[in-house]
Amino acid sequence: MTLPSATLLAQSALSGLFIGALYGLLGLGLGLSWGLLHLINLAHFAFAFLAAYVCYQLATVGGVDPFLTLAIIVPSFFALGVVVQWLLARFEVSPLNSLLATFGLTAIVEATIQHFWTADFRKLDSAYAQMKFRVGELFVPVPELLTFLLAVGLSLAIWAVMRYTDTGRALRAAAEDGPIAEAFGVNRRAHSLLLAGVCAALAGVAGVCLALSFTLTPAQIYGWVGVVFAAVMLGGLGSALGPLAAGIIIGVSEALAMAVASPSWAPIVSFTLLIAILLLRPGKP
Amino acid sequence: MLEVADLSSGYGAAPALWGVSLAIGDGELVCVVGPNGAGKTTLINTVAGVNPIRGGTIALDGRDLTHLPPHRFCDEGIALVPEGRRLFVGMTVRENLEIGSYRRGARAARARSLEQVCALFPVVRDLLDRTAGTLSGGQQQMVAIGRALMARPRLLLLDEPSLGLAPLIVVAMFDAIREINESGTAVLLVEQNVAMALDIAHRAYVLDEGRVVAQGSPRALAAEPALRRAYLGVGAEPPSVPP
Repeated sequence: MTLPSATLLAQSALSGLFIGALYGLLGLGLGLSWGLLHLINLAHFAFAFLAAYVCYQLATVGGVDPFLTLAIIVPSFFALGVVVQWLLARFEVSPLNSLLATFGLTAIVEATIQHFWTADFRKLDSAYAQMKFRVGELFVPVPELLTFLLAVGLSLAIWAVMRYTDTGRALRAAAEDGPIAEAFGVNRRAHSLLLAGVCAALAGVAGVCLALSFTLTPAQIYGWVGVVFAAVMLGGLGSALGPLAAGIIIGVSEALAMAVASPSWAPIVSFTLLIAILLLRPGKP
Repeated sequence: MLEVADLSSGYGAAPALWGVSLAIGDGELVCVVGPNGAGKTTLINTVAGVNPIRGGTIALDGRDLTHLPPHRFCDEGIALVPEGRRLFVGMTVRENLEIGSYRRGARAARARSLEQVCALFPVVRDLLDRTAGTLSGGQQQMVAIGRALMARPRLLLLDEPSLGLAPLIVVAMFDAIREINESGTAVLLVEQNVAMALDIAHRAYVLDEGRVVAQGSPRALAAEPALRRAYLGVGAEPPSVPP
């Protein structure tokens, strides 16, 4: 095993940073719903892929700029999230059962995608796809850079809302002790619907980022589950910045492992990291 | 101001309250005493909107609260200091207090309320940036009372504020409760510490097995030998009630 050149390592680390940001963006909505609503929403990944296909369709057939599709995707996925949360609340689905219910929903979305777009590979050809620029020895692809900026911007925005607004504090308080938060005037039901809508809208944004950089196929939905779950658990449930930081750590270490050893090492690195940190981190669930 | 009539409540098949009626006048400090499992916490939580009402009515200043959803009780002027404090332990003291003033009617006065809480409990000022879960029991109780005061209630509900606290801190806590009441807030106090509760209360109710079995002035209740034996602690000295 020969050590690759410094440039190759740096380029690997950079691509790890970018994919890690996408792990973080996907993990942001998943972790918020898990930590604050106590719902493990597997359908989050399916929503992201549905958004990716919608973005692909609008951009390829409709000729819309991929980023302009956000104007349609964000509000419609917000509404989708609200409807799903309303249903889960209506039938009082417990946290564990939410895993089953949203797994079923994932299968439905997957089948829907397959029906409309078939199982063939789809790749969005946009003006952004070929754009890249050079920084010293390194190539920076524009779609990945935009994904990174969106992930950082949205994570920071959610963090600020959670910390500095009455709504954010109410959501955190209701997650800790719902009845007492309610006794102080927090309308738990309305807040749950709002948060679920935001999480689904975040899945929509992540989907647009997926469409920009990746070849889409319905079965790929499941390919992201493991590593994004790892990012969420490392970052802390309900944390806004945690999944992004953890996602980047995982992404970079995976990319370096691939460069130094071989691509098959990537999952070993990320999950060894997960186990090690869970064992060493004191007192956190 | 508070009119509770024929209230029934409880979880599951077995109700914990059976037709309880109770009234609190403006600025009054009323305590509810009784043995463990008498339904005291159920009563106070039901008045706070936390427990569902199964029968009867709750009205505050003539407004019927019976059918309001739980999160609307606070805006009517009721704030709860729950049993075991139940702070949001992962959040800072400041955030806990800010949740107290979450209701729209209390937000504008948030800074003033915070000053008042810090004046009542000077220790709290130095704890504002601490995580609530790291505080001692006495400090947590102060924050729990402070959180309720931040809602600027007309009626403060206190459930076992002396539970698990050192005797000296219990005395300070009762002094604070008296001070809050003297500033014009009506108080409903549920206490195991019967002697101290009767000492500061204007009126008292004795609750047993979900029913009111006696009510009256603390002095009269404390003088009743049967009540003293059954509910107020066997052979306990009559509490010193100021004339």
